[in-house]
Amino acid sequence: MEEYDVQFVDRDDREARFVVRPISPAFANGIRRAMIADVPTFSIDTVRFIENSSVMFDEQIGLRLGLIPLTTPLDDFEVGDTVTLSLDVEGPDTAYSGDLVSSDTMVEPADRNVPIIDLKEGQRLEIEADAVLDTGREHAKHQGGVAVGYRHLQRVEVVGDRPEFADDEANILRGVIEEDGDLVPTEEFDHDLTNRYPESELTVEDVPNAFVFHVETDGSVTVDDLVVRAVDTIESRANELREAVQL
Amino acid sequence: MMVPVRCFTCGNVVGEHWEEFKARTREADDPENPEAVLDDLGVERHCCRRMLVSHKDLVDIVAPYQ
Repeated sequence: MEEYDVQFVDRDDREARFVVRPISPAFANGIRRAMIADVPTFSIDTVRFIENSSVMFDEQIGLRLGLIPLTTPLDDFEVGDTVTLSLDVEGPDTAYSGDLVSSDTMVEPADRNVPIIDLKEGQRLEIEADAVLDTGREHAKHQGGVAVGYRHLQRVEVVGDRPEFADDEANILRGVIEEDGDLVPTEEFDHDLTNRYPESELTVEDVPNAFVFHVETDGSVTVDDLVVRAVDTIESRANELREAVQL
Repeated sequence: MMVPVRCFTCGNVVGEHWEEFKARTREADDPENPEAVLDDLGVERHCCRRMLVSHKDLVDIVAPYQ
C-alpha cells in the first residue's frame, strides 16, 4: 500500500483546500471525477402533487425541489434507498426548503432559506416527495461536490535581481506556493508575486506530483466524507478489476 | 420567475442567499453596494454572482393572470 501525504491549507465543513502527494496527474483527475460522479447524495426524485394552485406548473416545482440539497448520512443508507418528505404551505406565504418535513430526521434540507414558490392569497401547495439516494453519474442533482478542482503546487525561485529598466508590472499567480516546505496561499500577497519578492527576477515551476485540491460541497455531505468516499469508490473499482482479470 | 435554486454554471446553491441579497441591496432604506453584499454572503465566483445580480422576481407580475 502506498502512503500519501495530505496537508490542509483551509479546512471547513463545506469548503477545503489541501495538498496531496505524491500522486500522478491521472490519479488526481480520477479523484476529482469520483468526487463529482461517484459519491451518492439524496435528492428529491418523485413528487406527488396533492394541490398546486400556485403560478408555477407542477414540473417546474418538481425541478426546484430536486435541486435542493438534502443531508446524506452515507453510513446509514445505500444507493436506491428512499426517504419521503412532505410540504404543505398556504398563501399568502412563501414556501421555503425549510418547510419540507422529512420522515427521517437524518435526511433534511441542508439549506433552509431557498424559496420554492411565492404563494398569493388563496393559493396552496401541498406535495409528497420521495428522495432517492443516487450518484452524480445518474443525474447532476445528486452531485455532492460543487466546483471541485485541482492545480499544481508551485515553487517560486529567485534567480537574480530585477533588470534595471524592466517594466513595473504585476506578476499574477493564483493557487498555493511552497516556500521552504511551508504552504503559502497566494491570497496572502494579493496574488501578486512582486509584493512578496520585490526587485527580483523569478521563475515559477510546478512541484512534480503534488496537487492542490479545492473541494466545495453543496451541504449534503461534508468535505471529509466526500473525499474519503470518492477514494473508496476508486479502491472498490480497482479491486473489482483485479478480481475480474485474475486467472 | 422565482430565483434559481442553483447556479446554472457551477451548481452552487444561490437561492439560499436571495432574500437577504434583495433586502440589503434593493429594499433597504439605505441600499448597500451589491458587490460588498455578495462578498459578505460568500458568493465568490462570478457565475454565481450573476445569478443574483441579474434576477428579477416575476411572481407578482404573473399572479393576476392565473
